[in-house]
Amino acid sequence: MEAPGPDLATTRRNVLGLLGLGAAATVGGALLGGCGGEARSTGDAQNLDRLAGLLPHQRPLPAGIPAPDIAGVRPVPDGYTDFPADLVDAVAERPGSSGQEIRAMTPAWGPAPPGLGQSAYLAAVNAELGVPVNFSVQDGNTYAEKLNAMLGARDVPDLLCVPEWEVSKLPRFSDAVAALFEDLTDHLAGDRITAYPMLATLPTGAWRNALWNERLMAIPNPTDGPFPWALFCRRDLLDRAGLGYPTSMDELLEIGRQVTDPARGVWAFSDIFAMVQMFYRSPGTDDGWRLRPDGTPEFKYETPEFRQAVEFMARVYREGLVHPDLVASRGADAKQLFQSGRIIFHQDGLGMWQPMQAEQQKVTPGFDIQPVPVFSATGGDPLVWGDDDPISYTFIRKGLGRARVEELLRVINWCSAPFGTTEFHLREYGVEGRHHTRGAAGPAKTDLGFKEIANQYFFISGRSPVIQPYPQTPNYVRDLLTYSNEMVRYLEKDPWAGLKLEMPARFKAGLVPTEDKITDILRGRRPLRDLDTVIREWRTSGGGDEAREFRARALADAGR
Amino acid sequence: MVGQVARGGLLTGVVLAVLLPLWVVVVTSLASRETIDEAGGLVLVPREIDVSAYVTIFSGGQVTRALWISALVTTVGTAVSVTLTVLAAYGLSRPGSVAHRGLLLYFLLTFLVYPGMVPSYLVVTGLGLKDSLWALILPSAISVFNLVVLRAFFQNIPGDLLDSARIDGAGEFRILARIVLPLSRAVIAVVALFYAVGYWNVWFTALLYIDDNARFPSQRVLQSFILAGQSPNTSGLVGAAMPPTLAIKMAVVVVTVAPVVLVYPFVQRHFVKGVIVGAVRG
Repeated sequence: MEAPGPDLATTRRNVLGLLGLGAAATVGGALLGGCGGEARSTGDAQNLDRLAGLLPHQRPLPAGIPAPDIAGVRPVPDGYTDFPADLVDAVAERPGSSGQEIRAMTPAWGPAPPGLGQSAYLAAVNAELGVPVNFSVQDGNTYAEKLNAMLGARDVPDLLCVPEWEVSKLPRFSDAVAALFEDLTDHLAGDRITAYPMLATLPTGAWRNALWNERLMAIPNPTDGPFPWALFCRRDLLDRAGLGYPTSMDELLEIGRQVTDPARGVWAFSDIFAMVQMFYRSPGTDDGWRLRPDGTPEFKYETPEFRQAVEFMARVYREGLVHPDLVASRGADAKQLFQSGRIIFHQDGLGMWQPMQAEQQKVTPGFDIQPVPVFSATGGDPLVWGDDDPISYTFIRKGLGRARVEELLRVINWCSAPFGTTEFHLREYGVEGRHHTRGAAGPAKTDLGFKEIANQYFFISGRSPVIQPYPQTPNYVRDLLTYSNEMVRYLEKDPWAGLKLEMPARFKAGLVPTEDKITDILRGRRPLRDLDTVIREWRTSGGGDEAREFRARALADAGR
Repeated sequence: MVGQVARGGLLTGVVLAVLLPLWVVVVTSLASRETIDEAGGLVLVPREIDVSAYVTIFSGGQVTRALWISALVTTVGTAVSVTLTVLAAYGLSRPGSVAHRGLLLYFLLTFLVYPGMVPSYLVVTGLGLKDSLWALILPSAISVFNLVVLRAFFQNIPGDLLDSARIDGAGEFRILARIVLPLSRAVIAVVALFYAVGYWNVWFTALLYIDDNARFPSQRVLQSFILAGQSPNTSGLVGAAMPPTLAIKMAVVVVTVAPVVLVYPFVQRHFVKGVIVGAVRG
C-alpha cells in the first residue's frame, strides 16, 4: 500500500498546497493560505481500529529492572519511590556505525543548552551512541512557527521532534508527513519491532497515534500523565486557616470568599475556568466534543453544563475572587502569585507540581501544594478530562536510504531505554561527578547538569513511562499517584477515541476568537446574555456546524 | 500662578509615568526572592541589592556571547543598511536617473505586499544563508520607510548647489559624498538609529534562520530566560521547569533596554531635527 499524498517530485498545485500549509497557520500571515489550503479544509479522518495490524507488538521491559513501588491505573504510569540500587545494561551494541553526524531539532523551555563541541553531556552520550547527534534546540513556545516555516520550505533535519500539542496547529500536517518523512511501517510493524527492543517496550496505545495516512510514520513518546489540568491549592495555607478541600461549588465559592482578603493582598483564584467546566461535567477531552443521547455530536458550547460553568465563573470574577493582576492582563504571572501565597487556588498542569514544590520549599518553610480532588457540581460521579496521547513524535527525514534509517532507529532505540537502565541514567542525569552526584536518595543534578541537559535525547525518542522519584520531594510520587489513580476512574470517555481527526480549517480558526469572546463574558466586559450570540456566531462563521457534520461522518464511517 | 502650579503638576505626573515603570523594573531586578514574594510581584521600595539575577543571566557566557553577536549584527547591519539606503535614495531623488519612477513604485509596492514567511524562508535557505548572521541583515537591509524619508530630504537640497558642483567638475559620487551627505548628517543619524534599534531587537528572523545556539542574537537568548518554565499546555509532566524568578525577568528587561537607552542621548539632538525636516519638507 502506497502512502497517499504528494510525492517529492511534486506538481505546482502541491507546492502551493505546502506553501499554504506554512502561511495559513501564521497568524495574520495567511496571504498564501487560500492558494492551496482549500484541498483539505474539510478535515481528515483516519480510523485507527482498522489499522491495528500495523502496530508493533509490545514486549516486556529488559530483565533485571525492579518492579515499581506503586502501580498506576493505565494510562497513569507506574511509580518508583526509590532509585534502583543497580542499573541494567539494556543495549549491548553501539547503535551508530556510519560516523555521519545526525541533525536533530527538539524543543526546550528555557535557555538553550550549549551545542555540540561545548557540551560534556552531548559528548558523553554521543560517545555511547557511536555517532554524533547535533541538536538544534529551539524555544518550545515558538516551536510551531519554526515548524511551519521548515515544513513549508521542506527543510527538515534527519530527526525532527513534533510535540503532540503542535500537531493541531499545523494545517494539512498529514500531507506534510507523507511528503517529508520516512514511512517506518516496514521497519517497525508487528514483530519487526524486535530489532529495536527498547522501542518494543512502548505501550501499544502510543503507537496508534503515530499513524498518519494509514502508515506508521513516527516514534511516539508515550505520555507520563493523562490529565491536562489540575486545581492546585496551597495546602499549607488552607490548613492554617482550618479549611479542607472543597467538595461542591458552594463550598468552593465559600472557601474562596473566606480566603480572599484584598487588604492583605490575597485572593482565592487564578483563572480556573477549565476546572470549573470539569466540575460541571462539561466535555473537554476531545476539544470538547461528546455525543447527545440521540447520537449526534455536540460541542461543549452547546451543552447546559458549559453554560452553568460560564455562569459560575462569571460570578467568581464579579465577586472579585480572582487576583486583579490576572484580571487586568494576560501577562501576569499566576505561578509567581501562587508561590508567594497571593492566590490560594491555581489551575495548571500537573507538571508544575514537583518543580514548584522543590523550588519554593527552600524559601517558604512548610510550603505544600496539592491538587484538589475533582468533584461533580451536580451530583453523581465527577468527570475528569484526559487522554493517552503521546507527548511528542520523532520523525525521520525521507530519502536517507535504508541503512541510514536503520542506524537512526537504533539511535532512537538506545535513547528509549526505560528507567532503571544505564542508558536511561546517562540520558537523564549525564555523567556521575560532572552532571550529577549520587547520594543515598538518588542522583542530584549539578549546575552543569541543569545547564547542559535539556531533554535533548528525550525528545528524539520514547520510553516506557514511569513516575520517577525526586530526592528533594520524597512524598511527590505517592501523592501524585494517589491523586492520579483516584481521578483516572472518572476519565471522560471519548466516542472518537482511535479516530485520528484533522478538524476542518474553519473550525480550527474559529476556536480562539470564540474563546476570547467567552473570556470577555466571564470577566464582565460583555453581559452574560451575549453568550447565545457568541455561540450562534460560532455555529455559522466559526465552523461549528461544519465540524459537527464532520464528526458525525467520521463516526459513521468508522461504523460506530 | 495657578496655571504654573497646574502645569508643573502635570509635567511631574508625566515624568513619573515614564520613570516609575523603569524604576520598578530596575529595583525588582535587584530584589531578593523573599522581597519579591513579600511584595507579591513587582517591587517598588528597594530593601537590598541582590545581583543574583544578573549572575544567573551572565553565567555560562551565553548571554555575553549573544550580546556581542547582537553588537556585531547591529554595527555591520546598520552600516550595510545605511549605505544601501543612501545610495538608493540618492539615485531615486534625482529626476533624471534611469527608470526611477518604476523603481520607486517597485520599492513602494513592498509596503503593500509582504511576500510571506515561507517564500522568504525558501529564498534565504536557497541562498545558503541559513545559520549565517547575514540572514539577519540582508533580507531586511533596506527599509522602504527610511528610503522614502531620505529621498524626500535629498530632493529638498537645492538643485543649484549640485549644479555648481557639477560645473566644478564633480561626478555623482563626489557630489553625494562631498555635498549631499554633509548636508544630511541629521537625517542620516536618525535613519541609522532606526536601523540600529531594528537590528538590536532582531528576534523573529533569528528564530527562523538561526539553528545554531552559539549564533543566537541577544533577544533570542534573553527571551528564553523570560519564557523558561512556561510549561506547554499538555498533560505530560515533562518539559515543565520552574518559571524564572521575577528578578530574572526584570534583569532581562534591563539588559535588553540598557544599550538603547545609553546610545539614545547621543543621537537624540539629531533625532528631533531630522524627522521634522523630513516630514515637513517631504
